[in-house]
Amino acid sequence: MIEASVAYQDYSSPPGDTLLADYPVPDSGYDEMCSAPGVLRPHWRDLAKTLEEIGGEELERRHNEVQRLLQADGVTYNTYDDPHGSPRLWLVDNIPLLMTGDEWSTLAAGLEQRSRLLNALLADLYGPRLTIRQGWLPPELVFAHPGFLPPCHGSLPEGRRWLIFHGVDLARGPDGAFRVHGDRTQSPSGAGYTLENRILLARALPMIYRDAPLRRLASFLETERATLAGLARHNPESPHVVLLTPGPNSPVYFEHAYLANYLSLSLVEGEDLVVRDGRVWLKTLGGLRPVDVILRRVADDFCDPLELRGDSLLGVPGLLQAVRGGHVALANALGSGIVENPGLVVFLPLLCRQLLGEALKLPSLPTWWCGDSSQQSHVLNHLDRLVVRSILPNGPCWEGARLDRATRAQLIERIQAAPHLFVGQESLPLSTAPVLEEGRLVPRPVMLRGFVVAEDDGYRVMPGGLARVSSGLDTLQAALQKGGISKDWWVLAPTPQRHVSLLRQAYGPIVVTRDGSDLPSRVADNLFWLGRYGERLDSTARLLREAFGRLLEWEQDNTDERCLDDLLDALEIPVPPVAESPRARFFTLRQQLLNLILDSEHPGSMQALFAGMLRTGRAVRNHLGDDSWRLLNRLQHSIQEPPSGLGARQARELLEEELMLMAAFCGLNNETMPHHQGWLFFDIGRYLERVLRTLELFNLAFITARNPGLPLWEVVLTITDNLTAYRRRYRSALHPTAIIDLLLFDTDNPRAVGYQLRRLQRNIGRLHRPDSSPYRNAEERLILEAFTTLQLADIEALSTLTHDSTSSSAELTRLLEAIHKPLRGLSDALTHSHFSHAEVPRQLIIMQP
Amino acid sequence: MKYTITHRTLYHYSSGVALCHNEARLLPRQTLWQRCQPSRVAIKPRPALSAEREDFFGNRVLYFAIQDIHQRLEVKIVTDVEVLDTRPFNETSSSPPWQQVRRTLREDPDPEIIEARLFELDSRFVTLDPSFREYAQPSFSPGRPLLEAVADLNRRIFREFTYDPHFTTVATPLNEVLSQRRGVCQDFAHLAIACLRGLGLAARYVSGYLETLPPPGRPRLIGADASHAWLAVYVPGAGWAEFDPTNDCMPQERHVTLAWGRDYGDVAPLTGVMTGGGSHSLDVSVDVAPQP
Repeated sequence: MIEASVAYQDYSSPPGDTLLADYPVPDSGYDEMCSAPGVLRPHWRDLAKTLEEIGGEELERRHNEVQRLLQADGVTYNTYDDPHGSPRLWLVDNIPLLMTGDEWSTLAAGLEQRSRLLNALLADLYGPRLTIRQGWLPPELVFAHPGFLPPCHGSLPEGRRWLIFHGVDLARGPDGAFRVHGDRTQSPSGAGYTLENRILLARALPMIYRDAPLRRLASFLETERATLAGLARHNPESPHVVLLTPGPNSPVYFEHAYLANYLSLSLVEGEDLVVRDGRVWLKTLGGLRPVDVILRRVADDFCDPLELRGDSLLGVPGLLQAVRGGHVALANALGSGIVENPGLVVFLPLLCRQLLGEALKLPSLPTWWCGDSSQQSHVLNHLDRLVVRSILPNGPCWEGARLDRATRAQLIERIQAAPHLFVGQESLPLSTAPVLEEGRLVPRPVMLRGFVVAEDDGYRVMPGGLARVSSGLDTLQAALQKGGISKDWWVLAPTPQRHVSLLRQAYGPIVVTRDGSDLPSRVADNLFWLGRYGERLDSTARLLREAFGRLLEWEQDNTDERCLDDLLDALEIPVPPVAESPRARFFTLRQQLLNLILDSEHPGSMQALFAGMLRTGRAVRNHLGDDSWRLLNRLQHSIQEPPSGLGARQARELLEEELMLMAAFCGLNNETMPHHQGWLFFDIGRYLERVLRTLELFNLAFITARNPGLPLWEVVLTITDNLTAYRRRYRSALHPTAIIDLLLFDTDNPRAVGYQLRRLQRNIGRLHRPDSSPYRNAEERLILEAFTTLQLADIEALSTLTHDSTSSSAELTRLLEAIHKPLRGLSDALTHSHFSHAEVPRQLIIMQP
Repeated sequence: MKYTITHRTLYHYSSGVALCHNEARLLPRQTLWQRCQPSRVAIKPRPALSAEREDFFGNRVLYFAIQDIHQRLEVKIVTDVEVLDTRPFNETSSSPPWQQVRRTLREDPDPEIIEARLFELDSRFVTLDPSFREYAQPSFSPGRPLLEAVADLNRRIFREFTYDPHFTTVATPLNEVLSQRRGVCQDFAHLAIACLRGLGLAARYVSGYLETLPPPGRPRLIGADASHAWLAVYVPGAGWAEFDPTNDCMPQERHVTLAWGRDYGDVAPLTGVMTGGGSHSLDVSVDVAPQP
């Protein structure tokens, strides 16, 4: 290899100030960028020059830009162990990792062979088991691994492939050679993050990316899409392909939503699917829609509670039987997790010769399986140099060199008790690559994840992949949960490559559809609740804002605080006894109001309501526009990370900001989401919640008020933001009849019950109805009842409210109750008609040992 | 012996079941010593779909799905079976010393022997625990022929354990069965399997039926029989020797085989997943009627 020396005089900056001159190349090991201090590898020259030109400071600024973009896009990685489940941000370093085309070709040939080999091994293990019967593979290694699922035996119809997607964790050792550290064969994640990294970095660093001679990723993803479509037995023209996700609690849910969107797949959860007549169906608002192919991101054993784990709520009962029938294809096939077993790599060279008749091209990390007595003694004799791993999924690992005497003895005892469950792996230092830290480049150990997809008769390798900073011990998942740093991995091409995005292409004939009746029922359910939580959050914030306002006024002039009691009632805060000193009372009230903002345990707090909003929002991630999603992220930041030591004034300002963000979120949804079925549910949720809240407010102001009268009416108008409208319309002092007309009967004022009911009636009438019965269904009858009651109300009878007339007040009470009653049943009626999938399948016999 | 076996399972649900998927392992398998006539299967309500297949262990599995709303599910399977007295082992069979069997299992490259090692490993209901090996130890003195040692273990379980249908459920852990010295046939089979696996031997779980003989002079009660379970231990090169610790015997003509696997989890007679249903009640009746 020809080395290039970085000559300091090439650059205008003085030595010691340049990025590269300062790069501390490690004394030992392999550095991706430099072969010796100050000596660049040739394929890094162009990038290095550009980086120098940009300079550390500017790179750092761009780095922050990328992080901001990531946060805005909500690229996250959830952690299970975090009690609040708040997702961690994906961190991206903006210095790509470069690889020459030649080097990559060699690596790709090794990866392609590895995929073919693992596919052949799966076909054998779930078929004739020659590898075991011939003694090439010890039975304990396979049968004791929970990834081996006997029900999957023979489950794949003739001609189907077991392995469609394959993720491979790789690293270069001190000798510069690549070794495989692990295989991901159930539902390899990371391709979506890889794509997102590439797109964001290209946006933030156009000077590096625009004309770079790097291999693009789009055609690989196009192959993924085509391969998935090709798996369909029915509808070859327009197969229905879905991405099955465990849901928003999955650590990599972002990627599921992202890929579903990029590859034009329906994003579904287990409960969206049902097996009937031997086929898999998606439950949509328009009825059942057949599913041809499932890209599944649910672990093998969770996919079918009938034959696999009975306690799984993430799967689809009867799925494996549907697979046997051949009517649905899964990528990857169920049972493929067995080849993730790290003990298998010991036997791959032999298996490759036996199954493929080829020599294994790409070596694995040197590994010894303790189930073999001579390998076991190697592990025990060289414990100091090895990493011991349990072969079980997500099993623990021990670094031999770091064990104290007692742990070491315990480990040896564990190995000897069940040797077939352990492997020892050589602990090789990983190669290092430059990472930007505080404007400087520093060498950090890196691991790569490569991706392979089935194509025609063979496999195709992604030109690039995900690089991440790692010690080599942690898995990708573990690393990300701890907040790992990822990098874009470039494969260099001889000439600049055109940028292609799948999002801009159409695939063959497309069926134009507008009505949205294929919306999964669960999505409709979540959109409905997103609307309800959002509106509840909005009305709570309005009440709180007003309460803080009154509290501050009272503190200043110590005058009229009576409305505050009624606001406390509305917020369901117990009114403190008057006997308290004003100062003590102020602090008590302030604390109680602040609790409603900050206390996540309180079910009516802003925190709790937003948690509901976020949960439902995440479940419909790919139905919200990108800008709406950014607003939701900003709202999350504002609500979940409020400034510490919040006082009444700052609280009011914070609420002000959150109200604006809420308004922007809802407004943007109105402006962006097509007003089809999904949006209708969102809107119905919002307006149902709003009308219920408005009625409560009315009740408070005119029926149950502790301090009825003018100041309270003003509060009601302020909360509904209608004070200006009132003044403009009446130019007079507040009069209850006028307020009632403005906020109850007006059908053109969005804050009025009349408008809200009319909008609900219209949108409920537009919902898709699975049956074509000419009669009104329950929800239509209920909204009709509420709206008609309002329209038939005797306005004259209400006109004497000012005169403390008990008859008027009783009439209003009666009217409000008559409107409220049908609305209380509306939510259940909608649920019953449209979201009745909610019932979860159960086991006939609980089979837990 | 010839039998007509009638196995009827009846579920009542407190509310309607909209959809259910089920698997029944109720069709007896053919063996060298057991011939089965085609079973007569009656499922009510009528399944929208049913299919028979052979599972990983060679058992016959009947899959069926019911797609009409129902509050009652009845599965009735009637099979005529002939059991011959040609099982490969009986009380007088000779066998190699048990330690030699263990060595052969580990070292012999014969494909059948290699595959039998599956039954040496932990399974869902039978997991490694030193207490099982300790319990087995007195029966396994060095050099004792395998079958003699297993027969001794079988007899000890029969004598030292109380048959108590009210003590255990499917979920009772095996070491509780051992410490309390009580259980049912399923527990005793699991316990014996755990003891054998703890010694490095291969053992499997067998589900089936046993003809019950009425007390002398009394008529046979129809439908009073039950499902039964026992175990088999592998003798390399010679096959599987069956033992019934509940009755202290080696199954012969009166034991009808349904299915076998690593443990109960592999051969549960009827499993299913349903949507709806509320709470349910279950009624199982089994009749093993001898035929002339």
